[in-house]
Formats: sequence, C-alpha cells, structure tokens
Amino acid sequence: MTQGVTLDSVPPGSRVVVRQIVGGAGVHARLLQMGIVPGEFIEVISNNTGPIIIRVRGIVISIGRGIARKIIVEKA
Amino acid sequence: MDKCDYVVALVGQPNVGKSTLFNILTGERARVGNWPGTTIERKEGRKVYRGKNICFVDLPGIYGLSTSSLEEIVAREYIVKNKPDVVLVLADSTALERTLFLPIQILELFPKVIVVLTKIDQAHPLGVHINVEKLSQKLGVPVVAVSSMTREGIKTLLDKIIEVAETPLSQFPLLEIDYDGLNSYIKELAEKIRETGILREYPARWVAVRLLEGDEELEEKITRAGKEDLLHQVRIMRVEIEKLTGREPIDLAVAARFAFVDSLISEVVVRKHTRGREAFSKIDRVFMKPVIGPVFSTGILLGVFFIAFTINTGFPLNILLGKIGLTKIATFLEEYSISGVLNTLFNDLGEAVKDLISRSNGPAWLASLLGDGIIAGVGAVLSFLPLIMMIFFLLALIEDTGIAPRIAVSLNEFFVRFGLTGRAVYPFLISLGCNVPGVLATRAEIDEKSRISAIFAAPFVPCQARFVVLAAITSIFFRGVFAQVFSLVIIYVVALIVALATALIVRRILLKEKEKPEFLLEIPPIHKPSLRVVWWLTWSNSKHFLIKAGTVIFILSVVTWALLYIGPSGYDVEPTESYGAIIGKFFAPLLKIYDITGDAAWILAFALLHGFVAKEAFLESLALLSGGEELSTMIRMLGLTTPQLMSILVFFTLYVPCLATIAVMYQELKSLKYTVLAILYMVFTAIIISTIVYLVLSLLI
Repeated sequence: MTQGVTLDSVPPGSRVVVRQIVGGAGVHARLLQMGIVPGEFIEVISNNTGPIIIRVRGIVISIGRGIARKIIVEKA
Repeated sequence: MDKCDYVVALVGQPNVGKSTLFNILTGERARVGNWPGTTIERKEGRKVYRGKNICFVDLPGIYGLSTSSLEEIVAREYIVKNKPDVVLVLADSTALERTLFLPIQILELFPKVIVVLTKIDQAHPLGVHINVEKLSQKLGVPVVAVSSMTREGIKTLLDKIIEVAETPLSQFPLLEIDYDGLNSYIKELAEKIRETGILREYPARWVAVRLLEGDEELEEKITRAGKEDLLHQVRIMRVEIEKLTGREPIDLAVAARFAFVDSLISEVVVRKHTRGREAFSKIDRVFMKPVIGPVFSTGILLGVFFIAFTINTGFPLNILLGKIGLTKIATFLEEYSISGVLNTLFNDLGEAVKDLISRSNGPAWLASLLGDGIIAGVGAVLSFLPLIMMIFFLLALIEDTGIAPRIAVSLNEFFVRFGLTGRAVYPFLISLGCNVPGVLATRAEIDEKSRISAIFAAPFVPCQARFVVLAAITSIFFRGVFAQVFSLVIIYVVALIVALATALIVRRILLKEKEKPEFLLEIPPIHKPSLRVVWWLTWSNSKHFLIKAGTVIFILSVVTWALLYIGPSGYDVEPTESYGAIIGKFFAPLLKIYDITGDAAWILAFALLHGFVAKEAFLESLALLSGGEELSTMIRMLGLTTPQLMSILVFFTLYVPCLATIAVMYQELKSLKYTVLAILYMVFTAIIISTIVYLVLSLLI
C-alpha cells in the first residue's frame, strides 16, 4: 500500500512525511500523542548508530531504533 | 492532611514547567509519596489563599490520555474518580503547537479546567504573541499566562482557581471538536453508551471516541460489566472506518485534534519571526557523535561523581593522594570530609551518652544499647545524608538544564543490550561510590520494567565501603603491588558483569519481557536551571530517604546490637559467646564449599553476617574476634590459600549490599516479595560465582 521507507533508514538532514505507524497499540498511541501523526512533516537531525533525533512540530525527540523501524515515511 | 477547601490537580506534558509551577504555588511544604501500586511519584502541597485552604495534587507528566503508559492511566483515573475542584492543564507558551494537545484532550473529559500558559516571559523574546482572551473564548474556560521566573500571572491564577472552584460543575460545557469522518460513528456510539447506562463517570461522547481509538482500560471495564455486545459493535465500526478511509481510527482522531490545535493557533497566536526556537546546538552534535558522545557523557558523569564523593567522604581523591605520597593531605581530607566529621560527632555523642548513664548509675545494657546500638545505627544513616543530598542536587541540576536526556541518548546503545536504557547509567555510576543513592537514582529510568531491573542490578556494583575492605585485605595478603591491583580488578570485573547480567535476567525471566526496552524521549532545549526547583527536588528526595530508610535501620541496628552483645549466658558476653557467634557457627559448614573449616570457618561466617549491616563491619568483626590483635595477624591466622581468599572476597562483594541499601530497595520496589527475592538471588549468585572463582583458581594456581 505505502511506498515508503522506515525512519531508521533516512539520512540526517532530510525532511520526510509520516505515512504510517505499524506495530503495537501502546507505541502507536504514544508516537501519535508526541505529534508523529500520518501526514505530519519530520526533520531528521541525526541518525547514526544510536537513537535517531528528529524534530516534529517544533520539538526535538529522540527515538530508539526499534521504534524508528515502526515508522514508515516518504520523502517530502 | 487537614481539610482541603478546594482540591486542585496539575497536569501537563513533560518539560512544560510543571514542577516549577507546583513549587511556586505550594512553597516548600509538599508531601511526596507514590501513586498506589506504582513507583510513580505523587506530590501534594497546599496554599492558604484568601482564607481558603487550597490543596494541590501533582499528576504525572503525560502527553495525552491514551492508556499507553501507567502515568496516563493514573492521571486519567484520578481526574474521573476524584473530580477535583479545578484541573490546571499546562501548555508551554513557546511551543503551543505541541503542548495544546493535552489541554484539548482534558477538556473533552472534564470541564472544570484552567489552561495555564507557562514560560510567558520567554515567549515575547521569541516573537510569540498570544491572544489569551480569544483562546479562552474558543476553549470556553479561563486561560492564564504565567511565568514562574518573573511571577507574572501567579496572583491572577490563584484568583481564577477560587473563581472556578466556586462555580458548579454543571456550568462548564465539555469541549466538542470536529472529528470529521468519525463524527457520525461517535454520535451513534455515544447514544448506545447512554442507553446501556455504563461508565457513567465518564462523558459518553468521550468514551465513544476512546473506544473507536482502541482503549484497553475502557474495554476491560465494559467486559466486566457484561456488555460485550457493545464492544462487538465498536469492532464492526472500526473495521468499517478502516475500510472506508484506509486509516486506523486512532490516526484519524489524533490528526483531528492536532488540526483543531492548528486552527486555534492560527487564530490566537501571532508569530513575528525574530528568532526561531533554539536550533540543534553544537553541544548537541557532540553528544550525538558515535564514539565521542558516550565518552563525553561518561566524562560529565565521572566529574559529578568525583565532586560529590570527594566533598563527602574524601574518596577517591584521598586514595589518589595517598598513592602519590601525599598521605597527610589524604588523611586530612578523609577526617574533615562531611562524613568524617559526622562520624566523629556520632562517636563522641555515643560515648557521651554511655558516660552519662554509667555516671548516673544507669544500667550498663541501656548505655550500650543507646551508645553502640541506636546512636551508632542512626548515625550511620545520617552520615549518608549529605552524600545523598549532594548526589540528588547534582542530578537535579543535570536534569533541569536539559543535559540529562542528552546523556541518556548517547549511552542508550550500550545499556539496551542488557535490557536497560541510557538512563541506567546513573544508578551504576553512583553505586561505585555508594549503593544507597545508586538505587534511588534508578528513578531516572522511565520504563517501569527497566527500573525494576536496575534496582536488582545496581547493588552488585562494588561501593566504596567494599573497596575499603577489599583493598585492606588484599594489601595484607598479597606481597606485590601487581598482585594486589590485579586481584582487585578481577573482583570489580566479575561484579560489573554480574550486575549487567542481572539486569538482563530480571527483565527476561522475572518480568518475562522479551523485547528490548523502547526508547522515546523528548529533548528540551538546554536552558538555565532554576535553583529553586533544583533545591526543592534535592530536599524532597532526601527527606523521603531519611524517613523511610531511617525507620528500617533503627530497628535493625537494635537487632544487630542484641545479637552481638547478648548470649545464652546473658548480657555483656564475650563476642565469641554471643548469639551472633552461635549463628556464625551454624553457618560455618557452608564454607566447606571453599574447603575452609575449623575456627576460620565460623569467624568468617560471623564476619560476613556482620558485614550485612554495613560492609566495613566485616573488618571490624574480624578484629573483634581476634581479641584486639592486629588485622594483619588475624588474616594470617586464618591461614587461607589464594583461591580461598579470592572466593571469600568475591562472595563478600556480591552476597548482599548493606542494610541501608536493602532498606531503599524495599522503599523503591514497593514489594516485600521482590525485596526478599532480590536478597535470596544475591546470596545465591554470590555462592555460585564465588564457587566458580574458587574452582577456576584452584586449577590455575
């Protein structure tokens, strides 16, 4: 259905749009409440070996790689 | 608590300035406890204003009202069950796009709300201007802009609290937002909920939205009420929505709320772009670098550790100074460190009390109980206090400046392997100095399961008291410096591996969690700390420790005193005739594991039992039982081989931390079952690992 990639594979400096969140209901709800909603723009600040750092709705959030794999995004 | 005229609850997202505002509203007088059945902190405070006794309850920091975390359930249930007179919902003036989400959610659930816009002093320099009046109109509740720094708006807020509290609930309408494609389903479902007459304490429309989003808590309540057919209808609706829109209802609902937030903001906020929100700074880049980041973080933490312990105990600076030959300065540092001074003070006090009693012809046992038992025991707790306060102070400083989340991010990868998150670094590092504040520092872990694992694991990290014993014994036993250092390194490495492995074992086996802990953390901009908040956090945490650990230690110090000074023949027996010695002899056969028998066996068993109270007591009791001989003679008298000594030392390091640590473990775990389990686990692990060490070394040497 979606032609996206998972957030953990996005290089730093990119701007992407959230397409879908897959996986458990708990994480799903938490991500949504933090502003990671389908259709929302995300700026990837840092992505190396550790947690990924993104900016969404003006706030910086760090996301563990496990959760990042559950966020499907598309190039903005 | 005395009678409250009004109960006011505070709720807000993390980093909106809730602790600061709570502190400003209530002053220093707050009660800290836990929400029932959880390790989540609960704070209550009060203020008398215009003759009314206003009680404030601080709800946990949450992002929304889903039930994705225990904090959210606690906050939601509190509001619904207790129906406070006013709920203050906080939003950050400088980041309304994100922080208005929670007020919107609360307003759909409970209407007696005041929306508090925090950090208003910072909004203007950022070019953010908010039409407070209009926002209040749009939401249908009072909105007050405040600053905890300049105190702007605090008085207005207090006036509004009284005003809202005195207005009946029925005069406040609930907020209804436009859920677009979900509207017709919500209406239909709300009707059905009203018909069944269940969940009356919640607004029907709110329940309808939540059920469509998927809410395990509410579903469970409905199942218990025997209304499965309602849940069945919800499921049909959800499938239908997904089919029609290609999206899950929860995505649609949250998107609708954010759309509502955006429309509000476009109407009430004027933004003159003088300067954007603080960009990701250069310091942040350093933290995020693969190797440099973790090294930098560890450096900061080691600095904190060094400062706190040196001021309090002289350690580790005294050892470094001693090694380079400045023994006098080292001794001076040790004697005049805070805990050195306190120790002297309590020794003198104990002696003075004993002296006073014997001069007034009081009973000798009373003098000894007070002097050697209670004053010594309570003194031991109090001598921990400055250290604990300083650790809490420095950690609160790191937390309040925004450095803490960055450290956690950079160290996360290492700890994730052991079922912990980056925040586990505090308990581990602090435990190198002392396990008591180490266990308390597990509060930094947000994930409940990671926190329990860390509480089990941290006490294995050898503390300074254990270091003193290990260093004293190895320096007597081994001739060469190399052998002394090498034996210490082996013990530390073994202990640290056991600690990390324990975290993983507890998570996998005890808590039955297979997944790695999830890491999701907001990183607030780095900012100046509020000393008021830092001090207040320090004091309330320390006070908590003092009361809880103090009671346990008081009781146990009396018990220990009795064991050491009383024997079958009565009071004031020789240590070798005391009940303690009898127990030592009872456990002596266990030392056959290491082929230790005879006098050495029961003396060591007794010393180990005594070491349970405080690790230094291990040395003390060895000296005591040798009848005032030099420690070195005593250790040679025991006639141990190298493998025997090493396995005893490994056992000593692992077997159970001191009493004070057990007391805080119990305080933090909130479970007698887990605490007893932890003790048994530690003893068991110590036996297994030390036996392995004994067997391996026996083969090698």
